[in-house]
Amino acid sequence: MAETNPEKPKMAEVVSIVAHQLKNPLSVLKGYLEVLLTEDFGKINQKQKEYLSDALENIKRMTRIVDYLLDVSRIEEGRYELKLEKTSLEKITQEVLRDFSSWAEASNCQITFKKPKELPEVLVDSLKIRQVIENLISNAIKFKPAGQGKIEITLEERGKNLLFSCKDNGVGISEEDFKRVFTKFYRSEQAMELDPGGTGLGLYINKAIITLAGGKIWFKKNKDFGLTFYFTLPIFTK
Amino acid sequence: MPKEKQKILMIEDDRFLRKIYRDKLTKAGFEFIEATNGIEGTNKVISERPDLVLLDLILPRKNGFDVLIDMKSNKNTKDIPVIILSNLGQESDVKRGLALGAQDYLVKTEISLSEVVDRVKEWLVKTK
Repeated sequence: MAETNPEKPKMAEVVSIVAHQLKNPLSVLKGYLEVLLTEDFGKINQKQKEYLSDALENIKRMTRIVDYLLDVSRIEEGRYELKLEKTSLEKITQEVLRDFSSWAEASNCQITFKKPKELPEVLVDSLKIRQVIENLISNAIKFKPAGQGKIEITLEERGKNLLFSCKDNGVGISEEDFKRVFTKFYRSEQAMELDPGGTGLGLYINKAIITLAGGKIWFKKNKDFGLTFYFTLPIFTK
Repeated sequence: MPKEKQKILMIEDDRFLRKIYRDKLTKAGFEFIEATNGIEGTNKVISERPDLVLLDLILPRKNGFDVLIDMKSNKNTKDIPVIILSNLGQESDVKRGLALGAQDYLVKTEISLSEVVDRVKEWLVKTK
């Protein structure tokens, strides 16, 4: 009989508890900084505003990391939930592109979005799929080449699925790392250099979301430069 | 704001969060009262008859879902609007909270203080 220790919690459980414990102090810090920034209790000068804004940005970054860790622990324990609903991938993609437009421009990245006139809706969790699309496009922006970045987003119908693709001309990933791309905490050499604050959890969570929604996610090395990430999702049928 | 201040009860065990919401809601013109655990929360709902309750879910002595169940099964308190303000953001938690009769479900780390105050004002108007 296998030896088990009922007292010893599983690692995913420990991560989940610690992440939950961190959320309250993070909410507190966020709240205090927001109140100071809205100047509810007195004026602050420009430099103070700048420092407080930077602190708030970092609190938000920590919160994202904690949320990712909670997602990972839920995935590992089989408790990750999706709210499947009729969703327009086209609308979400356009919203994400709009949100990222000034960042892309400031980063010298040109983004194009190709799609047919009419596209059916898919069955997926709209908030989580937004997270996937944001992650793929933000990776393409962050890991752009030294010159101009070119990103092509496409949406098309493929049988019973919609196919999303995000092609970049970025720094790519070495072939020896290809098998590890969707594993948790994987970070390429280039990623560690270009995005030191990253968690290495985005693609792992993306895979869980797409798989749970009945789709597939993969990537290919482009012939010239960069990578193309693809995912499919089942088209919504009544 | 009307002359008589509307009363908000916050049931929250984190003293720092209570402090910041006390400052923010008082500044916005509300009377702020607080409870630090579920049992005290249930008692204050009955004795203070607040206009709205901001309810955390993970609470000592009695969790927020049970506070909500008790509130909604008491004819004197069932119509008091409840906004859940929690760090539990899983779909099943949200569904459960709303199914038990909460008006709104907000995740602490995803919403700003000013947005919470706006929601409080909105629900006070909607449930008048």
